[in-house]
Amino acid sequence: MNEIRTSPKLSRTAGLLAGSLAGVVTVVLAGTALANRIVQPDEQPLLEATHLPPLLTTRDDRKELRYDVYCARSETQAETPCAVEGRVFARVGETDAYQEIEAHRVGGATGGRFVAVVPESIGRASSGFTYYAVFRSDETDLVATLPAGGAAAPQRSLPLGRRIEVDLGAHNFGSELEASERVAQAAWGTGPTEAGLEQGRNLMPIGGSAFDVDADGSVVVLDEANKRLLRWRDGDMPAAVPLSINGTLADMSIGEDGAVYVLETTAVQGQPLLKTFARDGTAISTSAVAERPSQVRIGPEGPVVLQSSSAQWMSAAVDGRAVGVRAQISTAESGRPLSGGRKIVILRQGNEVRVALVGSTGVQRAWLVTSETPLAEVQLAEPYGTGVVLVTRVFTDDRDEFAVLVLDRRGMVKRFSLDSADWAETAPLSRFRLRGSSLYQLGSTPAGLFVDRYDLEVK
Amino acid sequence: MQYARRFLVAFVVAFALAGAGTAGAYHTQWVANNCNYAAPTPTSYITRDGSITVALYARHEGYQWGGGCWNDTDVDDSPGDPKSDPNTGGEGPDCSGFTFKVWRETLDETSTAFHQWWRLRNIHGPYTAQRFKNADGAANYPLSKSAAIKMDAYASATHIGMIYVTNPDGTDQIIEALGESYGTNVWTRAYRGNSIFSGVRRLGWTQS
Repeated sequence: MNEIRTSPKLSRTAGLLAGSLAGVVTVVLAGTALANRIVQPDEQPLLEATHLPPLLTTRDDRKELRYDVYCARSETQAETPCAVEGRVFARVGETDAYQEIEAHRVGGATGGRFVAVVPESIGRASSGFTYYAVFRSDETDLVATLPAGGAAAPQRSLPLGRRIEVDLGAHNFGSELEASERVAQAAWGTGPTEAGLEQGRNLMPIGGSAFDVDADGSVVVLDEANKRLLRWRDGDMPAAVPLSINGTLADMSIGEDGAVYVLETTAVQGQPLLKTFARDGTAISTSAVAERPSQVRIGPEGPVVLQSSSAQWMSAAVDGRAVGVRAQISTAESGRPLSGGRKIVILRQGNEVRVALVGSTGVQRAWLVTSETPLAEVQLAEPYGTGVVLVTRVFTDDRDEFAVLVLDRRGMVKRFSLDSADWAETAPLSRFRLRGSSLYQLGSTPAGLFVDRYDLEVK
Repeated sequence: MQYARRFLVAFVVAFALAGAGTAGAYHTQWVANNCNYAAPTPTSYITRDGSITVALYARHEGYQWGGGCWNDTDVDDSPGDPKSDPNTGGEGPDCSGFTFKVWRETLDETSTAFHQWWRLRNIHGPYTAQRFKNADGAANYPLSKSAAIKMDAYASATHIGMIYVTNPDGTDQIIEALGESYGTNVWTRAYRGNSIFSGVRRLGWTQS
């Protein structure tokens, strides 16, 4: 028997060569497999519906529910949408039986616009009406329900009733009120007392994405770029509290017990998250948010999150326990829950803002604010005494300011303007907080951020 | 035994080196591996609803500065690209490239015609956010922000996003390619009243 013998040197070289070759081949094969995996899969059909709910109505309003529906078998058939059938289910108040109403397609054969005319018996009910819509495409086998909770958590439309009307007239730009006190400020940077600035190629600079005022009067800014809170107490230098967050234009609210709720609107791979931390920054929980969230506030039982497409407030935790996505959807409400079972409801349309405090029997007090100058977003609407404090942005194409209105049963009892001071971007509705009789504004300049306090009453 | 040990050592070293090299080059390969340069399809007919549909197919995809190609997997296939490098070849559009494709504009700035590019065509178009803000190009014209409706855009010197739907609180849901950390998606924004943003409208929608 012949024995094949190799020299030790040849064996070493052969081993190295074979091993190297195998390593490279493995990487190439794995890379090829990955490249093939990410090649475009089959296109998915889509069905989406949007709707601006008539949360607060006057007698003169047309009792119509309008929806835009987007249905496609594929991107390439974007201009030849699939056939959709729409049904609206509406009822008087919150307990009557639902009545089915056909949603008619309008705007031509290719349009995705649907209108459902609410019968007078429902649309003019003194207790308002609740409703939801279902759009079905047999071609794509898709169904869209709006709001997502359907019959369990319908949208609610309430009559304003005897509202208090306030006419702002034409806004006088350039007469901003000076702050009672600057209670916090930080230069942009990464130092222990500085606030971080996130900048990208397409982004406005983002810094101090949200803030709140603690029960003890501390001003707390979410310094998301540096992944921490900055907490000011009595005008001292801020204390930094590290947080395990990913940023992404996060909103934040602080509970009466000091718990910190951070709403990450993008988080990881598009999934919005609500993260809960103890006052010292210790992570307590992370929970998924059902839809596209825009703000987190503290309700009577815990944090509540305003979510779209349903355009409803959803409870994110009750008594410290996270609420699952399904339960968020099935318990959603049209108004933001307040203590004592009340809710606050707002609707901005054109140059008009409607605000209502709602109790168990319907609207308790309502205001209808009109303006000659266009109004943009309502930054803040909070109960205040027997009325509300309302902060809305007044704008033209090249100017903008915030209008602060103190409204009560007599009408508008106080009004002043504030510089928008929005050099850096924040979460969309995070620029104001009301604590006691003080209004706080988070502002920014190219030098840094600040929080100003405005006293609504003479102290 | 010695042969096996050396094989193993060499395999591990080669795997690590080749893997590192591939990882470094990975982001430069996404567009090369997935996108095309096909001629656009001219069309005489586009609607706001159709453009929203085109935009919705880009939801949850990535962001690439200077980019204009994405697929429909609902994930960013090239996460973590360097933010300031337009040549990394990652998935996704940037804000102005996204607007250009969703509005289905042409490379000819004097033309108001409609060109379907489709998502896997790698094209950014001639406009930056600033140029959209200026309403440069025959297909774009300035618009009072208070009159803006769905598929009109708000543009600043550095960013542009298109209206999907308006919220009851007066904010808008904007569909936009926001940044490497965000990707392309729909977010609630308060652009309408912010004076750094101007209104821009695509000319010639077939119906409102």
